[in-house]
Amino acid sequence: MDRRKMLALLGISPTLIAGSPAYARTAPRAVPEVSSADGSGSITVMNPAIPGKLATRVPLVPPLDTLQNKTIYMVNLSWEGPDAANYFYGAMREWLDKHYSGVKTIVKVTAEGMFGGDPSIIKEIIANKADAAIVGVAG
Amino acid sequence: MSRWAKQIQMQCKIPAIGVASSNIVHYATGYVSKYQTGMPIRYVSVPFPFTGQPRAVDVGYVSGKDMLTGQPLMSAVVNALTGPLTVEEKMSGAPPEEAVEPRLLPPDSEENLRMLFEDKEWTDFNSIILPTEKRVTAMLKGTSHKPDEVIKTINITGGARQLTVEKVAINAVMAGASPEHLPVILALATQAPFGNSTSSMANMVVISGPIRNRLKFNCGTNAMGPYNRSNAVVGRAFTLMSKTAGDLRNNVNAWETLGNTMQYNNMCYGENEEALPDGWDPLHVEMGFKPTDSVITVGTGWSSIASVGASQSIYPTHYLMRDYMSSFCASGSAATIVIDPTVAGLLKDVHGFKTKAQLSEWFSQNVTKTNASYWGNGVIQSTAVPFALAGLEPYASWRKLPDDALIKPFTNSKAIHVVVAGGKVQTMWFVTDFGIRRGVSIDDWM
Repeated sequence: MDRRKMLALLGISPTLIAGSPAYARTAPRAVPEVSSADGSGSITVMNPAIPGKLATRVPLVPPLDTLQNKTIYMVNLSWEGPDAANYFYGAMREWLDKHYSGVKTIVKVTAEGMFGGDPSIIKEIIANKADAAIVGVAG
Repeated sequence: MSRWAKQIQMQCKIPAIGVASSNIVHYATGYVSKYQTGMPIRYVSVPFPFTGQPRAVDVGYVSGKDMLTGQPLMSAVVNALTGPLTVEEKMSGAPPEEAVEPRLLPPDSEENLRMLFEDKEWTDFNSIILPTEKRVTAMLKGTSHKPDEVIKTINITGGARQLTVEKVAINAVMAGASPEHLPVILALATQAPFGNSTSSMANMVVISGPIRNRLKFNCGTNAMGPYNRSNAVVGRAFTLMSKTAGDLRNNVNAWETLGNTMQYNNMCYGENEEALPDGWDPLHVEMGFKPTDSVITVGTGWSSIASVGASQSIYPTHYLMRDYMSSFCASGSAATIVIDPTVAGLLKDVHGFKTKAQLSEWFSQNVTKTNASYWGNGVIQSTAVPFALAGLEPYASWRKLPDDALIKPFTNSKAIHVVVAGGKVQTMWFVTDFGIRRGVSIDDWM
């Protein structure tokens, strides 16, 4: 016979038994009462939120006047692998070749993925006097 | 990605734009710019999903539309690289408005305050104890540390938010904790916030040492279930302070696509150290702590698989664990196995694993999966592919293997942890893919 049925037969409510301090595994904890000092029903509580420091603003570098004859780096951050961005950049390169004469595009896959650094790419962009960069693709 | 684009702009002095899928581009152009980079990087956006698609789909996105402006994507790319700067894009220096968060919220009725806390997403949407000054002052008696002491700066999504002892105490009150829990929650705060990723991660919190008995943490029957106040309030406090201190809000900077119900309590339990077989050290002792140290350990992962049924003699328990572990992605070679003391006894007395380390080593040597299965996981693609491309072994060699080749992905047995918990009621266990960080002393926060 299960305990609930047994207690019911004895006329004892399981709920009453459960509420008994003798049954409880830990003593009930007293939570300090909340009441408004002025009787208005309003209370004051502390703010759990923490102010976020806004980043110092940095202006964008001036844009190009045209893409013609420019060197554009396409940095592949290898998000979930390099393949998808490589396919995408490949199609981008074809489009740019078709629409802008003299444009040169270079695809570089980062050595440490999206969250790491790759100083060699930065050095190469500077050394090759590249004109712009496209970074991606995250999702 | 914005950090990369900013770095290129700053160091190479050339325009750099970002490409992001539509699922996160608003985060990149909004929150990231505001709190992380300060630079309003121009973006174009492709549909989501981007990865895991056939080649033709990714190629097709180039002739499709920019999800931000509706323009043809390549027109948007050209405009982003050549369009004149706006007034906002030319701004520099300190932002005009600093966020202000008053120490005390404006007085209001209890009902309205509860609604405010939910509207602000400061809760887990279960009822909280409102943090009056009286309650927080009482909570702070649980530690000798000063209320204004900064525990850590939380910057995972930007904002550099300083988590103080007082803020932790506020969250501890909200969670329903008592002052004696505060040192545990303060130690836990050093590991905040909890995992937050589109991939729906979660955390595990393990309590070790004498504090378990002092605060009556449950390490036995129902250790991982909703049957104990200390387990409940400490696990819950981690959730609340992660959300408040990390400013994690749904679809703003918290975007776990499915979410994870483990985030309600973060699998908070104590190790049943008293029931460990001889030679099997407690988790914190394995990490170099003394048995008399009280320690809290946090793990991060995604998956937990239960044994479902009791251990059987026809198929050794560790074989079944191995089989289930083969479905994990093995990111970082990490796994945490949680086993009932009866299972620990079987593994030691019947199967000869004299130490936890021997069992971990066995898993490292015996869990296999196909090469395709390993590389077929997005997290592995993000984390291990760069290793392979850099020539690091074994990843570089694995990339060259055929799809059906079997590899041993748990390359580091030290990243496989075994924790004993449970009440000897059944020979049950969980294997999880949770990677455990080094434990933190609770005693330091008394």
